[in-house]
Amino acid sequence: MAEYFFELLTEEIPAWMHDAAHATLRQQLSDVFPSAEVFVTSTPRRIVFFLKNLPLREEDREEEVKGPPRTAGEKALAGFLKKNNATAADILEGGDYIRIRRRVAGRGTDQILQERVPRVVESLRWPKMMRWSGGEHAYIRPIHSVVSVFEQQHLPIAIFGVASGVTTVGHRTLAPGPITVTSYNDYVTKLELARVVIDATRRRHVMAERARILANAIQGTPSLDVTIWSQWQYLTEYPGVLRAEFGPEYLALPEEVLVTVMRVHQKQLPIRRADETLTNSFLAVLDNEADRDGNAAYGNAFVTNARFADAKFFHDTDRRTRLEDRLPQLTHLQFQEKLGNYLEKTKRIEAIARSVCTHIGCGDEDTLTAAHLCKADLVTEMVKEFTDLQGQIGGIYAREEEYPDGVWQAIYDHYLPANIEDRLPRTVSGAIVSLADKIDTLAGFFRIGARPTGSRDPFALRRAAQGIVQILLNRDTRQIRVGVAQLIDFALAAHGDATNTQVRNDLLGFFDERIRTLLEISQYGFAYDEIAAAMEAGWAASLTDLVDRVTALKRVRDTPNFLSILDSAKRIANITADHESSRVDAKKLQDEAEKRLNELASSVGEQIDEMITERDYVRALESFAAMAPELETFFDNVMVMVDDPALRNNRKSLLRKVGDAVLRIGDVTKIVVDRSEYRA
Amino acid sequence: MARITFQGLILALQKFWADRGCMIEMPLDIEVGAGTMHPATFLRVLGPEPWNVAYVQPSRRPADGRYGDNPFRLGKHYQFQVVLKPSPIDIQDLYLDSLRALGLDLTVHDIRFEEDNWEAPTLGAWGVGWQVLLDGMEITQFTYFQQAGGIDLSPVSAEITYGLERLTMFLSRKSSVFAIEWGGGFKYGDVRKQDEYEISKYDFEVANIDLHWKLFDQYESEARRCLEAKLVFPAYDWTLKCSHVFNTLDARGAVSVTERVGVIKRVRDLAVQCAQLFVDTRRELGFPLLPAQERTA
Repeated sequence: MAEYFFELLTEEIPAWMHDAAHATLRQQLSDVFPSAEVFVTSTPRRIVFFLKNLPLREEDREEEVKGPPRTAGEKALAGFLKKNNATAADILEGGDYIRIRRRVAGRGTDQILQERVPRVVESLRWPKMMRWSGGEHAYIRPIHSVVSVFEQQHLPIAIFGVASGVTTVGHRTLAPGPITVTSYNDYVTKLELARVVIDATRRRHVMAERARILANAIQGTPSLDVTIWSQWQYLTEYPGVLRAEFGPEYLALPEEVLVTVMRVHQKQLPIRRADETLTNSFLAVLDNEADRDGNAAYGNAFVTNARFADAKFFHDTDRRTRLEDRLPQLTHLQFQEKLGNYLEKTKRIEAIARSVCTHIGCGDEDTLTAAHLCKADLVTEMVKEFTDLQGQIGGIYAREEEYPDGVWQAIYDHYLPANIEDRLPRTVSGAIVSLADKIDTLAGFFRIGARPTGSRDPFALRRAAQGIVQILLNRDTRQIRVGVAQLIDFALAAHGDATNTQVRNDLLGFFDERIRTLLEISQYGFAYDEIAAAMEAGWAASLTDLVDRVTALKRVRDTPNFLSILDSAKRIANITADHESSRVDAKKLQDEAEKRLNELASSVGEQIDEMITERDYVRALESFAAMAPELETFFDNVMVMVDDPALRNNRKSLLRKVGDAVLRIGDVTKIVVDRSEYRA
Repeated sequence: MARITFQGLILALQKFWADRGCMIEMPLDIEVGAGTMHPATFLRVLGPEPWNVAYVQPSRRPADGRYGDNPFRLGKHYQFQVVLKPSPIDIQDLYLDSLRALGLDLTVHDIRFEEDNWEAPTLGAWGVGWQVLLDGMEITQFTYFQQAGGIDLSPVSAEITYGLERLTMFLSRKSSVFAIEWGGGFKYGDVRKQDEYEISKYDFEVANIDLHWKLFDQYESEARRCLEAKLVFPAYDWTLKCSHVFNTLDARGAVSVTERVGVIKRVRDLAVQCAQLFVDTRRELGFPLLPAQERTA
């Protein structure tokens, strides 16, 4: 079994691009050598892969080679045989053309590597390509050198014109000299001696361990932050970590600000105590074995202190003005060119929140206060500097101004949920303000014709709609019993556009898509057809009701009864396709079967009505199923499509009366069945 | 390390890059926000002619002014700008050598290149590269220019921009920019504290808004006249003046969100036309800086 390893030396590749590149490389190399072990890794400036268990050569194979037509002359045949090193004995029977079978020797793996490795590496598509020097090539970074070794021998290849060799370099500042390598193990060992840890996962583990030790030394633990951890391994060639301190006076700043500055701007990790509070110590990466003279600790502390000093300046400046007094400034902050400024948006949010409160019967003052103040933080220095903290800063300042929990928490949370994995606002007031803000944005943008198209959604309208759906699906103490249609109406009214049915329909259509998507991918595990069936019976009045109906359909579809429900519904649907009414004139009923069906439909219909009111959809479906035998008798004995229109229509109405019961739960004909699964 | 002074750093960097074949250009005598805007960068990166240059550039950013109160932020600072065209393959090592020339022992520091792609919408320019972090502190912007004035660049230029005040502060362990030693016995604050206060006051509170809008229109119109007369350097001068007037209006709070987009576009249009005109005039001249054998007829 043979081994091959490869190193491409370039310049620092952005940390976030490495994992995806590894995956692509791993895939492509496995495609070329399905039986080999493929290992791919990288440092900031090197791309490395190691192939183990390679065969020495390909399998030999046989192939057919087509020659001249049988009608061609002796000369043509002789030439063909000579060219393929064959004799007349190799000629195969049959066909209009001469054919021979030829044994092709498998190529050496080295040959295959020489052909495929450059292709695989050069064709890697990076999210952002660049050109350098003469600009002949485009890649993620300029190519410096290539190491290519097969079975401890140099295997010559070239990447973008750079010829390979067996020499690389060590750590840029700690051991920059040239290093000659023979095997992969030799390569890894020599580079580690030269202060470069090739394996990204190993760097990550070493850094995690060092971080733990440094934090424990001051009775703390490093913040668990997956994003930062996964970036650290691609920021250095040597897995160093340092600990530094910022001025303890900055702990008076809101924790959200401290953490954002450290994480987002500096890629530093805060150290917390056992009780979760922040210490004034943090961890940072260090592309060095140790911070011998304390330079890195000084530098990191310097930068962090500088940013905190700025933040403190903003915080102090901000606190001189109350949130309430900032509202007039919102007139200078434009929300959208055609949708006015943020003060106008605030007024609409308040109006919508008020409508929701009235509708659900909560006279919540906290909600209205929160709605009133929720955008005030947009004109604070802190939010201007740290835009990601909008909402949170407003909440923090409201807390500092001693507004009740119901108010400041609502402001703090009102941008939630920002995506599908995000949490919901922690109070009802927060949920209402969030709904109001999001539906106002949606209604506004749809009114000005700025709905998302294909992959473009610059105003994050899909996420806004999703957030609304997530909130409305929630059933705990924060449940808000309002329908999507109702919300849309409140929003359009707030925009002074209550009669805009076009936008209303567009928005409903938009929500329709989002609901289908969310229910399919969410924790409910619903199938697309169950969702579609239930949505046919409506959803705009209550999403929780929709979920109850989908749940019922999901339960019932696997029961033996289901086929009869489906068949009944189908037959009824087919016959009554063009018929609206379900009002039956009992006097026109002639056949016994008709009369019995009508009575059954009335009594069962009443029961189903009650069950639907109580959302007992499973029993409602089962009751419907119970009508199947009578329905079958009806179809056997009664002809619906008679000539007499009065009689015909009455019978159709009867069938509709029977069918409507289930249609209020869902259109079961949309559920896809494999009939073989239902056979006893 | 010998006593670190602001001018000592400049002299050391100039010597380093001059020794490596750069021409030491002079700072531009028009207000600009960055060394990149100097024609020695913006125009010269265009076209095929080689170019190697280094210079100090005073950079005015009215919105960054802090009245001289903030220890790190200035309304005007100095950049040391280096452009190498085509970008040499060992440019990162050259850069590290320049730091060593300043007396830094890199083995006792943390030095990293962290992704930071630079973009200047007013110039229709963008590049790919890094901010260089020395012990966690950004001291240099390192960029491979990909496009300028909307034109794809070939060959590609490497731009290295050192933040001189920051570097000096850091190397001399001062906690305020005004405390660094400039040279000749003067501190940075002795030289610049008063004007930092005054330019902030002017830019934020005093600048005549009406006048500046009028100037913008007039500068723009004169830039167009120069473009029509096929005089690229004067046209570009007037374009830069437009850009600075805009920056002042912006600091003054006189540009609304809607207006901003339109104004940036106007400056960009001028810059793009200057870029095109520069390439055209150089072509007419036969790209004289190309080595003889590469010049076209």
